[in-house]
Amino acid sequence: MATEKTDVVIVGMGAVGGIIAAELGKAGMKVVGLERGPRLTTADFSAHDELRYFQRRDLRPDVKRQPVTWRRNANERANPLPRLDYGNQAGGGTVHYGAVSWRFHEDDFRARSHTMERYGAAAIPQDSSLTDWPLTYADLEPHYDRAEYELGVSGKAGNLQGRRIDGGNPFEAPRRREYPLPPLLVDQAGQIFDGAARKLGYHPFSTPRAILSQAYDGRQACTYCGFCQAFGCHIGAKSSILVTKLPEADRTGNFKLLTGVMCYRVNSDNSGRVTGVACYGPDGSDNTIEAELVILAPFIYDNTRLLLLSKTDRFPNGLANSSGHLGKHLMTHIGARVFAAFDDRYVNIYMGPSAQRHTFDDFNADNFDHTGMSFIRGAQVSVAPADLEAGPIGAAVSMNPPPGIPRWGAAYRDFLAKYFARYAGINAQTENLPYADQTIDLDPNVRDAWGLPAPRLTYDWRRPNELERVEFMFKKLEEVGRVMGATHVWRSAMSAGAPGAHHEGGTRMGNDPKSSVVNRYGQSWDIPNLFILGSSTFPSMSGFNPTLTIQALAYMSADAIVKRYKSRPGPLV
Amino acid sequence: MSEHDASRREFLRAAVGAGTVAGAGIVPEALAQTREQDKKSTPETNAPPHSQSNGEGLGAFLNRDDAATVAAFTERLMPGAPGKPGARDAAVLNYIDLALAGAYADLQDFYRRGLAQLDQYCRETHREPFVHLSTGQQDAVITALEEGKATGFTWPTAQEFFNTLRTHTMEGMFADPLYGGNKDFAGWRLVGFPGAQPIFTRTDMQSKQAFIRAPIIGLQAQTKKP
Repeated sequence: MATEKTDVVIVGMGAVGGIIAAELGKAGMKVVGLERGPRLTTADFSAHDELRYFQRRDLRPDVKRQPVTWRRNANERANPLPRLDYGNQAGGGTVHYGAVSWRFHEDDFRARSHTMERYGAAAIPQDSSLTDWPLTYADLEPHYDRAEYELGVSGKAGNLQGRRIDGGNPFEAPRRREYPLPPLLVDQAGQIFDGAARKLGYHPFSTPRAILSQAYDGRQACTYCGFCQAFGCHIGAKSSILVTKLPEADRTGNFKLLTGVMCYRVNSDNSGRVTGVACYGPDGSDNTIEAELVILAPFIYDNTRLLLLSKTDRFPNGLANSSGHLGKHLMTHIGARVFAAFDDRYVNIYMGPSAQRHTFDDFNADNFDHTGMSFIRGAQVSVAPADLEAGPIGAAVSMNPPPGIPRWGAAYRDFLAKYFARYAGINAQTENLPYADQTIDLDPNVRDAWGLPAPRLTYDWRRPNELERVEFMFKKLEEVGRVMGATHVWRSAMSAGAPGAHHEGGTRMGNDPKSSVVNRYGQSWDIPNLFILGSSTFPSMSGFNPTLTIQALAYMSADAIVKRYKSRPGPLV
Repeated sequence: MSEHDASRREFLRAAVGAGTVAGAGIVPEALAQTREQDKKSTPETNAPPHSQSNGEGLGAFLNRDDAATVAAFTERLMPGAPGKPGARDAAVLNYIDLALAGAYADLQDFYRRGLAQLDQYCRETHREPFVHLSTGQQDAVITALEEGKATGFTWPTAQEFFNTLRTHTMEGMFADPLYGGNKDFAGWRLVGFPGAQPIFTRTDMQSKQAFIRAPIIGLQAQTKKP
């Protein structure tokens, strides 16, 4: 057993951990970062290997070592999920992600109030726990700006200080200045999608991505190789935490990264403070890290799991859980997807940064009138390859053929041979509402490689509000596909309730300690020297990808810790 | 070429042969021609037959009978035709055999039991093991597996076995040749994928035509670069 002392310990060195480490290190605080996986380098990503990275999921958790179980409802026994999508190395999910980097809409931060004002309280499903955030877009705007410039995001403003700008998203909230980098090149899929969306009266634009369209901050520009989502970038053009904030944290001289380390408990004392963490080393050793400040920043399951594993006599329901809301309000994005295949042209969707390349925002948030509809909130619509990855294995395992074509045999071979380079996917990423009975807790039966109970998800996206929204979106997507001029337009199958991408919730933030786990800074209401960060704090989820908002919140928390908490430790609200 | 490589190829060729011979009357003429052409054009087949090709323990994992079944099954999932390479042309069997000896070693018993259940089902419904059935009968059997209607399967279930073989066939067709399938980029040529290109230009990105600017690049060519 080894014991180490430090000012700050951070659990998880992903989208959040790297930012916190760099900011606190610069302020002179001694930081130890714990990472379950390895620390890789750009040289590790030279191989453009679809089998290894996409299909065998080399950058994701091993589901046998680190199982996460899932059941649809509390009456079922949970089974391990066959695949996990979060990151498993220093840099976390930002190593393999598609780097889509959105600012949420103004109404995303007050979806409950906004819905009540426009449609009345009855529009919100009775069983939903939809609530406003404890902060506004304007509060977060300076931190969005900072994150975009610190990391390097390519895009086009649609709303500069209230002035509408052509070429950007007309539904975006006002921003103080342009993106640091111009938009990435638009590929064939984006061009056809763009033309069809305009014909239909929508407002398409190049998706903002944390991928360099030009050299920036000592890193070179994207070469459009297409090995992007699911892969590490072979030239460091993807603005992952691995190539941005971890080197910055290193340079402070105050940061130490420990890899292969599994944190299994947050230690607390009788005074109600946390004193550090307990963790297993790569050699199986049992270690303690004592710290004045404990910051949890793993993927969302482990925020809830760690707090539940850390219960004591003083905190019998888990740390930071006097509200009883720990583990509740789990949300995930569900993708409704349509495929469009062309006889008269190639699309070559395997070219260019994969994931959601070109977007229209007309059916997201409350950007369209829901009067008379049986659902609230919307979805981000974008053009994307089959499983957000565009190689032939991805197409063969993720793209169902159109009705009438079997999944194997000569007809299937001919379908794939003809359309692999001639298709585009159109995707609606839906904003699913929070529900208190969608939860994360400890699985009573399944344990991980360290002997700890696996996180257990209880979740089924198929609520009436969500099903109605998916059907509405499917019809819109099919219309776009037809106007694109596709010969064949067909739907992909929806999952039977399984969680999708971008998980949120479990430690929701709020204004009231009775109904939330943390305040707007991610600080525990119960334990002021414990911060719980990441998308687990989101009260609602938006149809947009979460990472830039996670990172902007991290900058806001870091700012508050450095400017206020450091000199006067205590509640920030 | 090492002795091991040569024996291994012989083993796999024999397994493939078992499938084709069994269905000889059904194999389209054109397919047979493709195979002849491949033999002529592929350098390795110019090597003399190996003296130790006795078929005992020469595969990485699969025994000769199981290899023949997997070869026949995967060829029905992705059949070859003139100008359209299939599972056999892409050496999908080799991919699966190597994977079961390595990355997918935890699926060895899945395959053993799945193949045994498959042959048992074929014997009950057609009185012959899978490799001795006509391609039409093979397709009917595969359809019964896919739809979960094939009887006698416990673990793996018929659908699990079908889905896994389908997935592994696609991997063997389209994974980099480094893994033993996608021989001579057969899978990538089939669908028009140029492989591990390091860069696409603005012109490439905005073309409505097939990409032909550069040759297909695999991992071995990629790693040779300075």
